[in-house]
Amino acid sequence: MTMSAQQTMTIEVFRYHPETDDEPRFQAYEVPYDEDWVVLDALNWIKDHVDGSLTHRWSCRMGVCGSCGMMVNGDPKLTCAAFLKDYYPRPIKVEPLVNFPVERDLVVSLDGFMEKLEAVKPYIIRDDVNDTSGGEYLQSPAELAQYKQYSMCINCMLCYAACPVAGHEDEFLGPAALALGHRYNKDSRDQGQSERLDVMLVGEAIWGCTFVGECTVVCPKHVDPAGAIQQAKAVGAQEYFKRFVAPKGAGV
Amino acid sequence: MSGQYHRPHGWAWFLERPGYVRFMVREFTSFFVAGYLIVFLVTLGRLGGGEAAFAEWLGAVSGPGWMAAHVIALVAAAWHSITWFAAVPQAMPIYLGEKRLPAPLAAVVMGYGPWLTVTAVIVWWVLR
Repeated sequence: MTMSAQQTMTIEVFRYHPETDDEPRFQAYEVPYDEDWVVLDALNWIKDHVDGSLTHRWSCRMGVCGSCGMMVNGDPKLTCAAFLKDYYPRPIKVEPLVNFPVERDLVVSLDGFMEKLEAVKPYIIRDDVNDTSGGEYLQSPAELAQYKQYSMCINCMLCYAACPVAGHEDEFLGPAALALGHRYNKDSRDQGQSERLDVMLVGEAIWGCTFVGECTVVCPKHVDPAGAIQQAKAVGAQEYFKRFVAPKGAGV
Repeated sequence: MSGQYHRPHGWAWFLERPGYVRFMVREFTSFFVAGYLIVFLVTLGRLGGGEAAFAEWLGAVSGPGWMAAHVIALVAAAWHSITWFAAVPQAMPIYLGEKRLPAPLAAVVMGYGPWLTVTAVIVWWVLR
């Protein structure tokens, strides 16, 4: 049931414009309350009707694109899935995702995340990729089940905002990148595990994870990055001892 | 790129989310487990020192303070075990074909089951 259009609620928005602000500030807006609205609707209403300078990312509005992740009352959320009615009548505080540099208002820099994502080579690697003479690479439902959950990641980066290690350790590749690396390592069609482990086993890249587990708690697609990372650690530990016994390039 | 704002990280980060507090409690319980193991190793050493030395040690660790410490260590060890048994299905999933064993069942198979079995064997061995 839609509430009266007269009802409003307060949205406090993190504002930061690098050309004029040395420090961020919060700006409060009164927005119409509609129980069908999500936080993203409120932000779009502010931008359309009150303050066109408000900057935020969004695209699909249905939890698929992963663009609209922000801190909503301190929790990393997809703002397209955070309903006003779950907060009303209390005010809502909206901030950019923590653990990322802020570009402007609610927009964070993706550069570091993209570098880490690229580092784990999140794609199928094969020696015979151009050889199609054998037809498609077949895969059983049981083989698909090994990685399907981890393939649901939409790169929304909520897991990075929930991870205390990601905020303190630059070398740590982070939940989504590691989960996607593990996703391809578990794919029966893939032959690139060794290449990925070359990256994942360096320094704190994967070992920085202390299994706090909040990445899994906040993941909107139920990917369970924390579980993927622990499984990848087990694979990595086995690989470490294999390489200790038979180093790569030793001709063994 | 210049102009980006980097939010500071406070030293009290572990208070920022309930999940962080639970994590710290889980990790902190390991100190009690380690402390108890030291006491246990000393106990074994005294046992090797003969009946008199062992009896003297038992007397020394039977006071109210030591009993309280043992109870705290037991609670900490139990909580540490419970949290890790809860994590085991995430770290070591069991697949039956394309079906993944549900987490509560996996925790029983890989955690609580072996734990209770070993405990029962020890209790049987001590009381037989």
